[in-house]
Amino acid sequence: MPPMSKSNQKKSAPAKKAAAKKTSNRKSPKKPTSGKKGPAKKSTAKKPVTSRRWWSWAFVGKLSLVLVLLGGVGLIWLDALVRQRFDTHQWQLPARVYSRPVELYAGRELDKAHLLRMLDLMRYRKDPGAKSPGSFSVSGDSILMFTRGFADSDGGEKSRLLRVNMDARGVRRLTDGAGKNIEVARLEPVQIGSIHPGHEEDRVLVRGKDIPPQLEKMLLAVEDRSFYEHHGVSVRGLMRAMLANVRAGGLQQGGSTLTQQLVKNFWLSRERTLSRKLVELPMALLLELHYSKEKIIEAYLNEVYLGQDGARAIHGMGLGAQYYFGRPLGELDAHQYALLVGLLKGPSYYDPRRHPARSKQRRDTVLLAAFDQKIITQAELKKYQSKPLDVVPQGSAALYAFPAFIDLVRRQLSRDYPANILSSEGLHIHSTLDVPAQLAAEAALANFLKSREGVNGAVVITSPNQGDVLAVVGDKVPRSAGFNRALDAIRPIGSLAKPAVVLAALQQAKKYTLATRVEDGPVEVLMEDGQRWVPQNYDGESHGAMPILDALSASRNQAIARLGLDVGLRSIIKTFHALGVQSEIPPYPSIFLGSLNLSPFETAVMYQTIATGGYRTPLRAITDVLDKDGLPLARYPVSPQAVIDEDLMYLLQWSLRQVVVQGTGKYAYNVLPKDLVVAGKTGTSDGYRDAWFAGFSGSHLAVVWMGRDDNSSTGLSGSSGPLPVWTEIMRSIPQRPLNLTPPPTVKMVWMDADGERASASGCPGARQYPMLDVSLPEQATACGKVQGAPKGMMKWLKGWFD
Amino acid sequence: MAERLVRLIAVLIFIAGCATRTAEAPAFDMPSADPLRDSPAEWLWQSGVQAREKNDLPAASRYFERALNVVPDSSWLYRELAELRLRQGDASAAEGLARKALRYAPNDPSYQSVLWQLVATSRQRQGDEEGAERARREAEMLWSRR
Repeated sequence: MPPMSKSNQKKSAPAKKAAAKKTSNRKSPKKPTSGKKGPAKKSTAKKPVTSRRWWSWAFVGKLSLVLVLLGGVGLIWLDALVRQRFDTHQWQLPARVYSRPVELYAGRELDKAHLLRMLDLMRYRKDPGAKSPGSFSVSGDSILMFTRGFADSDGGEKSRLLRVNMDARGVRRLTDGAGKNIEVARLEPVQIGSIHPGHEEDRVLVRGKDIPPQLEKMLLAVEDRSFYEHHGVSVRGLMRAMLANVRAGGLQQGGSTLTQQLVKNFWLSRERTLSRKLVELPMALLLELHYSKEKIIEAYLNEVYLGQDGARAIHGMGLGAQYYFGRPLGELDAHQYALLVGLLKGPSYYDPRRHPARSKQRRDTVLLAAFDQKIITQAELKKYQSKPLDVVPQGSAALYAFPAFIDLVRRQLSRDYPANILSSEGLHIHSTLDVPAQLAAEAALANFLKSREGVNGAVVITSPNQGDVLAVVGDKVPRSAGFNRALDAIRPIGSLAKPAVVLAALQQAKKYTLATRVEDGPVEVLMEDGQRWVPQNYDGESHGAMPILDALSASRNQAIARLGLDVGLRSIIKTFHALGVQSEIPPYPSIFLGSLNLSPFETAVMYQTIATGGYRTPLRAITDVLDKDGLPLARYPVSPQAVIDEDLMYLLQWSLRQVVVQGTGKYAYNVLPKDLVVAGKTGTSDGYRDAWFAGFSGSHLAVVWMGRDDNSSTGLSGSSGPLPVWTEIMRSIPQRPLNLTPPPTVKMVWMDADGERASASGCPGARQYPMLDVSLPEQATACGKVQGAPKGMMKWLKGWFD
Repeated sequence: MAERLVRLIAVLIFIAGCATRTAEAPAFDMPSADPLRDSPAEWLWQSGVQAREKNDLPAASRYFERALNVVPDSSWLYRELAELRLRQGDASAAEGLARKALRYAPNDPSYQSVLWQLVATSRQRQGDEEGAERARREAEMLWSRR
């Protein structure tokens, strides 16, 4: 017999230990099994001893009757146990989180490199002709790929052949394998995480019909060659084991069939006791009596323990394939199946990552057994034995790549689902994570901060219209799962608060327009607690009277402070809340300049309302939840709420546009194409402790924060740190320009330098501002031909508006 | 052919949406200026309409949102989503979506009138009688200008 015949009997010690540990939670209900059996056996065994050679045939008869009765009752009880457990068995299946699938259609802006990066992340194999799911080939600008398909609320996608023809802009043409045009198709989403709180089993369930035949054959060749002949127990195997035990003078081998192993894993403790063996045998027979061989193999392959990943116990061949090879089980090759089968003998002893040589030797032995059983040919044996292990490095999968985003998903899920459902029901969670956007954000932040010791940062990217969170970076080191600064660094937002002050002012439309002049001069406020608030400008100077627009775009502290005091604290706090700030806002005027503390995520919520033009759209990290069979359970639909009039928001968007055109955000257009309309705001807190930039295009909003964990100075301002990172992010993701078409109630008006009277193009000091119809000036200057005209227009418009 | 279908569907939705009102059911097409027209998203939208006809509202919602990812400024898609949310009983979201549909609506009084009507219904369902009345007046004013 080849050495692997012992494999099932001689589970290595480390494997046992780990396996015992992971099943401890499940063992507790079984305790009564051994507890009940134990005493029953003991009492019957002890009686003859206590009665001391006092026996008669009558006694033996009675004893036999009692034993038969007991055995019968035990058998009935065991039968119920087997059936009840097997019928209702719920695999512990943690919820799996997937990224947003990549949509493909002709005209889609997409970088070829991005697409190839995605395929790499999804572990597509290069294969000329892309002959099976999960493979692709590239020739020039044409990418042929065989997708894997997936389930979704809208029915999902079938696995199929797609040809994507690309040009410099993106997808030029999308066809199927036969060259027929396809309107829209999606690549399957990448699994980016699983939700398993604490020490839990993780597995990917594989249904019987999806078990690769080669894997099954190899398993039987190594673990149980007579599986299809025996009825749960192999007498030959038992005899052989007994012989070995007698030779060794104790219990060394179990002689177990696959069925017995399953019984062991499912119902029994790991100790090798005789009583366990006595229960195992009838249970195995009962299992075979009630269930098909296919069902037993399916259960076995999903139950087996294949390794430990920190707190996560790797169970079942489906997850084993993902964990060791990064691919679905059905896409593996013979040498990879052999490795998985070989692991059963001792997952930690033969761990291919820690003990590659040992693991390869074991794999090759399995391959040899497969050849012996004519599962593979001699040529294949040679070919596969010469292959490397092909194991992916630990932690290289997308599964571990985005901890900050998964953190957000977990928090949003925990509002709607109890922990036990998340860790056991096998939910499929479709998230909003946009992998290319996430990678772009990580790279931009890491590059900028790599030489800045101690300064860290965070990025949140959303698509404003749908409220989708596309990316969350919580640390400058990608994949770092520690402090999630994007959600948990609650910091003063500095000048990012100023738009709220201006918006509150503009809401008093008859009093303030963007042209209204405010004084950028010294301010001093005596607070209730006796302290004085004396805001300074960053340059230490006061620039005198200026339009509100300039106060905002040049981020003048004194001018905005004076405006805020004039507008009133209460209405400004109200405006913050309308924009979506849920934290409590301290009623101090210092909030005008950003003494308000928010996380980057909450800041994104606030700027989201600005980016959408007055619609508060709850940020969602999840769009759909499906059950383990892919049937839709829940949707998280887009639900915007109109909170601020869109004409007011237009004025604000237009002003924030001026920040990047001529104000503190000017750097953006050093890099971005001029026709990409964007808007945004810089922010810096006292002493350069926090630096911010929040800005948006027509399709993306990104908030970038930088600071130190010990809250000391970074030496960076919003313009010198976050802005370049923001710009780099926006540059590397395909963007749509912000649509700045004014609503019907907004007019572009030439205003005199006094900010009060209308003027005309070409008049001295005249500037153009967007203005609400209700704010149109009553008077005009003497310059130009248009004198008096605005008044008439205004009257007419006013009448129409009221 | 496709246009006719669109018109028919639109009318049906309108009738369904305003079942409580006796208002006449104006026929309206997807505005010719809507970016959804002749875009790849049109297929997604049609798939959504089919799902809705089968009363599979979550699937319809997913399709419409996917389409919106392709053409974010489509008033027509926001209107579809607003109708859908109203049917699903989320009047507040329906109002927001209808308002967004208005934000991107082309200058077409009868189409805009329909959207204001949708805002009115959404507000009414939220118990905002006064707001509903304002929206209704807006709808009637636009209707008279068509």
